[in-house]
Amino acid sequence: MKFSFTDDQRLFAEGLRELLANECPPTLVRDVWENGTGHSPELWAHLSGMGVLSMLAPEADGGMGGSFVDAILLFQELGRAAVPGPVLEHMAVAVPALASTTFGASLIAGDSIATLWVDDSPYVAHAGVADLILRDDHVLESFQSTDAHGMDGGRRLFTVSGGDRTDATPNVAGLDPFDAMALASAAYLIGLSERMIEIAAEYARVREQFGKPIGSFQAVKHLMSDALLKVEFAKAPTYRAAFSASIGADTMVRDISMAKALASEAAYRTSRSTMQVHGGIGYTWEADLQLFMKKSWALMRSYGDANFHRRRVSGFVLA
Amino acid sequence: MDLRETADESAFRLEARTWLEANVPAEPLPSFDTAEGFARHRQWEKKLYDGRWSAVSWPEQYGGRGADYIKWLIFEEEYYRAGAPGRVNQNGIFLLGPTIMEVGTEAQKERFLPTMASSEIVWGQAWSEPNAGSDLAGIKSKALRDGDDWILNGQKIWASRAVWADWCFGIFRTDPEAERHRGLTFILCPLDLPGITVRPIAQLDGDTGFAEIFFDDVRVPVENTLGEVNKGWGVAMATAGFERGVSLRSPARFSEAVNRLVALWKRLGDKSDTALADAVTDVWMQAEGYRLHTYQTVTGMLEGRPIGAEASLNKIFWSEMDVRIHEIALQIIGPEAERMEGPLERWVDGFLFSLSGPIYAGTNEIQRNIIADRVLQLPKGM
Ligand SMILES: Cc1cc2nc3c(=O)[nH]c(=O)nc-3n(C[C@H](O)[C@H](O)[C@H](O)COP(=O)(O)OP(=O)(O)OC[C@H]3O[C@@H](n4cnc5c(N)ncnc54)[C@H](O)[C@@H]3O)c2cc1C
Repeated sequence: MKFSFTDDQRLFAEGLRELLANECPPTLVRDVWENGTGHSPELWAHLSGMGVLSMLAPEADGGMGGSFVDAILLFQELGRAAVPGPVLEHMAVAVPALASTTFGASLIAGDSIATLWVDDSPYVAHAGVADLILRDDHVLESFQSTDAHGMDGGRRLFTVSGGDRTDATPNVAGLDPFDAMALASAAYLIGLSERMIEIAAEYARVREQFGKPIGSFQAVKHLMSDALLKVEFAKAPTYRAAFSASIGADTMVRDISMAKALASEAAYRTSRSTMQVHGGIGYTWEADLQLFMKKSWALMRSYGDANFHRRRVSGFVLA
Repeated sequence: MDLRETADESAFRLEARTWLEANVPAEPLPSFDTAEGFARHRQWEKKLYDGRWSAVSWPEQYGGRGADYIKWLIFEEEYYRAGAPGRVNQNGIFLLGPTIMEVGTEAQKERFLPTMASSEIVWGQAWSEPNAGSDLAGIKSKALRDGDDWILNGQKIWASRAVWADWCFGIFRTDPEAERHRGLTFILCPLDLPGITVRPIAQLDGDTGFAEIFFDDVRVPVENTLGEVNKGWGVAMATAGFERGVSLRSPARFSEAVNRLVALWKRLGDKSDTALADAVTDVWMQAEGYRLHTYQTVTGMLEGRPIGAEASLNKIFWSEMDVRIHEIALQIIGPEAERMEGPLERWVDGFLFSLSGPIYAGTNEIQRNIIADRVLQLPKGM
């Protein structure tokens, strides 16, 4: 029994953090919100170059040959930077599911961009920048997409019609795409939460009222500590879910659901608390916090919200 | 990362399980907060010691097995699974023991650890005072040097199991000039010395689970000092780290409690009440999350990443989870939850006890302050 990441896994994640600190600062996220694309080709190229996008593709197909344990800290780092665009859909589902198909090579190289259309969802996130859409039994190309005005400018929503179909049954190491995305989103939500806490802690150190930094007030301290508590205790379950997925454990669906339920709730609590700590400025378009909050509100509802996943855990635990 | 047990770990689990199945008393022992219950628990500890199960993570020379923390967690899982008795010497074995190993002299280790492991000596913790609880650094009880002795004077309170315990570990002010955290010394003291009065205090459940200890010119040799003179605060914080961190509340305790809760829900829960099912699932996830978090912490410790102020997160998490587990149980139990004796009394008892968790080992408000100051690096409050 060993519950830790290897040095290689940690170093790779640190490398990604550094890359994103330079290449995906909040100003970039804001730019892609405001230019209406919700995607940055330059950033995409960096992620591809580092091998992030192809982490879950087999080496034989030109990928990094990693498992979900190798990828989970990367999802978390992507969340810390609120990386815009279909990076999770592409990386956690399309690449591993289609690696050995005719679509594989260009997806692995990052030359084409894929997103996911979950079964009964009326909307497809990121369809406007995607070359192909993965569905439950086919791949769609040359489709029409219409803006549905999503709240998160880095995860734009569309309705999709038409398109050319190619049969395919996506499966990611025994998981269906929905579950692979639930797992990736759980880690991404944890990263978002960590960043929101960092931003609010920094603000609490510098903003003064009554002649003191607001972070010295106990009500502020306790809001922040409680948010951190939820986030820290969502981590181990998320890493465990990644391990379960990597070995195809009997419990992997339960474990993923537990992770997504906890991470969704932690992120929501964190968004509320960190916004409160900001006072009026937290309610502005200008504050960077919104880039992270809105992403968390979008993802906590996607690929199953906390209630959905809690009930799925119930199905296993109370059966 | 590999969350599967190794063959060696599974063999250890099996050995523990086999021993416990053969030795755990069939009937639950009476509460250790009664004279008879205390004596019976001491006997049980002796039996554990004879099987070398009382302090599995300690070195063999002091009665342990030199087991690593992962094995210790496995042992704890088996211990709770077997429904084995509560640990009457937990303040000794889980708090003072590790502290002695960290800062004690060789002579102190030889002298105190084996009798602690066997519970020939049961220990109480004498830190809190009537006017120094959360503000522990404000303690007033004094130790004045007289030749080779300390002369102790003052009053301690809330010392768990001190009514029947043999020795206590206390912190005393040894430099009256020094401010607060400075000038404190960690001293080990028998509880049957002349000048000591132990006055039992009944807890919420009516049993005398803790005590006041009065020191009136009590003489103890200076060799009973643990760590350096006037550096007792640092020693106490090491002990508190063990307490809040992993050792006092191992995850197995809560895993076992939620398993019982799920069984209770299956037997008595209103299945049409989806909010209730959600609540049970929520605490199940919390207990599982705490277990996973602990395995992660412990692996980090084994790999040389010790736990710091994050231990305060654990303290809040387990204590609030424990309250929640019992709140839900009482909700399921309904009218029976008003009875202190009856077939479901264990849940009612457990509920009362769970309410003390957010208070002892440093209140949860204090833990939140610690997290904010040391983990989140927020500016100190007033
Ligand atoms: C079951 C049980 C067993 C115990 N066993 C032992 C033992 O074996 N040995 C021992 O020495 N002690 C023991 N204690 C004592 C325990 O450590 C203290 O009760 C605890 O530290 C709180 O101190 P207090 O009771 O003086 O409360 P106070 O410090 O008076 O606190 C009262 C309230 O004020 C809040 N408060 C105080 N200061 C602050 C602050 N700065 N910021 C925010 N809120 C604050 C507290 O959180 C609490 O809600 C035990 C207590 C219990 C309940």
